[in-house]
Amino acid sequence: MSVGPGVDGPTGSPTSPPPPAPGRHTARWVAVFVLIVSAGLVAVLATRPSAQTVEARNPLVDTHAVAPPVAGATVVGTSYRLPRAPGHYVVLNFFASWCVPCQEEGPELVAFQFQHHLRGDASVLSVVFEDTIGDARAYQQKLGVTWPTMADNDGALALAYGVRSDPTSFLIAPDGRVVASVTGGATAQGLNQLVARAEASGYGT
Amino acid sequence: MRRPRFGLWTVLGAVLVVALVLGSGILTSSPPTDAQRAAAVESVVRCPTCEDLSVAQSTAPTAVAVRAAVTQQIAEGRSDPQVEAYLVDRYGSSIVLDPPARGWSLLVWLLPLLGGGAAVAALVVVLVRRRRLSEQDGGGPGTGPGPELMPEVAAERRTFLARSLADADAEYLAGDLSDQDYLALRQRDLVRLAALEARMGRAAAAAVEPEPAMAHASVAVDERVPGVGVAAAHRAETGASAPGAEGRPRRRLRRSTWFLVVGCLCLTSALVLAVTTFASGRQPGQSATGTFAQTAAQQTEESLAQAATDENQGQVGEAAQLYQSVLHQHADNEVALAQLGWLEFETGHQGNSASLMADARAKLLRAVRLDPSDYAARLYLGTLLLQRDADATGAVAQYRQFLADRPPAALLAQAGPEIRSAFQQAGMPVPASVPGA
Repeated sequence: MSVGPGVDGPTGSPTSPPPPAPGRHTARWVAVFVLIVSAGLVAVLATRPSAQTVEARNPLVDTHAVAPPVAGATVVGTSYRLPRAPGHYVVLNFFASWCVPCQEEGPELVAFQFQHHLRGDASVLSVVFEDTIGDARAYQQKLGVTWPTMADNDGALALAYGVRSDPTSFLIAPDGRVVASVTGGATAQGLNQLVARAEASGYGT
Repeated sequence: MRRPRFGLWTVLGAVLVVALVLGSGILTSSPPTDAQRAAAVESVVRCPTCEDLSVAQSTAPTAVAVRAAVTQQIAEGRSDPQVEAYLVDRYGSSIVLDPPARGWSLLVWLLPLLGGGAAVAALVVVLVRRRRLSEQDGGGPGTGPGPELMPEVAAERRTFLARSLADADAEYLAGDLSDQDYLALRQRDLVRLAALEARMGRAAAAAVEPEPAMAHASVAVDERVPGVGVAAAHRAETGASAPGAEGRPRRRLRRSTWFLVVGCLCLTSALVLAVTTFASGRQPGQSATGTFAQTAAQQTEESLAQAATDENQGQVGEAAQLYQSVLHQHADNEVALAQLGWLEFETGHQGNSASLMADARAKLLRAVRLDPSDYAARLYLGTLLLQRDADATGAVAQYRQFLADRPPAALLAQAGPEIRSAFQQAGMPVPASVPGA
């Protein structure tokens, strides 16, 4: 590799013989470059809002699969079953009380539910993922959650939906198909956009 | 020099062959049980929530759920690829730890092979060049006239030494070298240079133009630290620092041997890995990637755990089979001995089979001998003595050991009535640690 004199700059003292050994200062420049890149990455990642409805690839969405059945015990001990074709949009939200993006998206989900509940065109359904039932319930009570929450004690729901991390949400269309998957925190606005997109592509009733 | 290296190659070749044979699993192939198949699948499936662990290694709730799903799928009679496909359908292809060997992911598999090949080629080139150099070097500079030095080789070496000197200068000036190191380096190179010049002079070749880099080096060096270089060269010529000059070639050879050994070992392990991954019918998770002992121990542990589960669920046949397979590999595993002995005793007791009873007795006695503090084996043996031989005294002796080994409370509660009746039959007072009135 040839390092031009402009890059290498003045080396050593004037009495030092030219040409200086190539490579020694390259290491320094590479180190500086790596430092700048990593500092930039840290800056970008640290200032990025964590709840911004990032869509994630998921086999269910890719194939527009029929949503795996959601049935079982809720965190309050009653049993719940999501209809095969719910008739309205359902945001199936996997969450944990300890996860910060979940805490950020919590109020957004409450807002989404509030906007749509009376109209009856969409609702939220939560699933506890990698958390204890007690903690999850306490968190939801503080948040003012009014929708049902599945306990999913054996992790079967998370497995059926291929959930890898908290929080992950799925948008299930009125006909029962999975039309979108969101990781890292959703916003009410982002969810509304996803619903509008699904409507536009003919998934509405 | 020739003979030992030939021997080395033979040994390395033998190691390679043995490793390939062992790694291919030809010697130890038997149809895997469901538990082994599940373990194999689990070890190649990534834990969904913890990136770089397999579900077999992870204790995360999701990993437990995936393990349960795998066990269930296998119990339902699906093949290993079908189970993996089931998971890939849900999580995507990244749920499998090994990237697929097609498309772009193929690069992941090929690059190490290419890199390894390149490294080996480079190694060979370097070694061949070194040997040629050291052969041309003869017995070293201090030992009289060596063989003729080819002029271009001499020029090349002189350029190299000059560069080395220049580098040392530059680093010294930049403050990267201590005085001591600098002087040592400089002296070493000057000694070599002087020896080289001496031999070139002896060769009486036509005047070789001094290389520009070298001229620089000599001038710069001599300007700054006058005297040192000359003195060093002088000392070398008079043989005052003979050890340094004499020791060089030998050490260089030994290091090359090390390189050779390490390189060959790397190559061997890469080949074994390739063979185990691509060629054999072995389950992926059972691969022998360098940790035979641990993998075997882990498998034993998993088999035992699975067998215990089966036993608790009343699947005596499956449990017995698993214990058998453990004993097949480790004849002295006292847990398997005790448990299988107990299963044989229960079955033999029900069916009144003398041969099963004899087997059970042999296994339990052996388990007790192997691990005298194995409370389970003591309990089983005591029960056998009591029920089969009506030997209350013998049973009490075993039960005493059982009680002394601090068994878990649940087991104690379960065995309480039996132990109580043994003590009563033997006409001895029941110890206070036996529960139940």
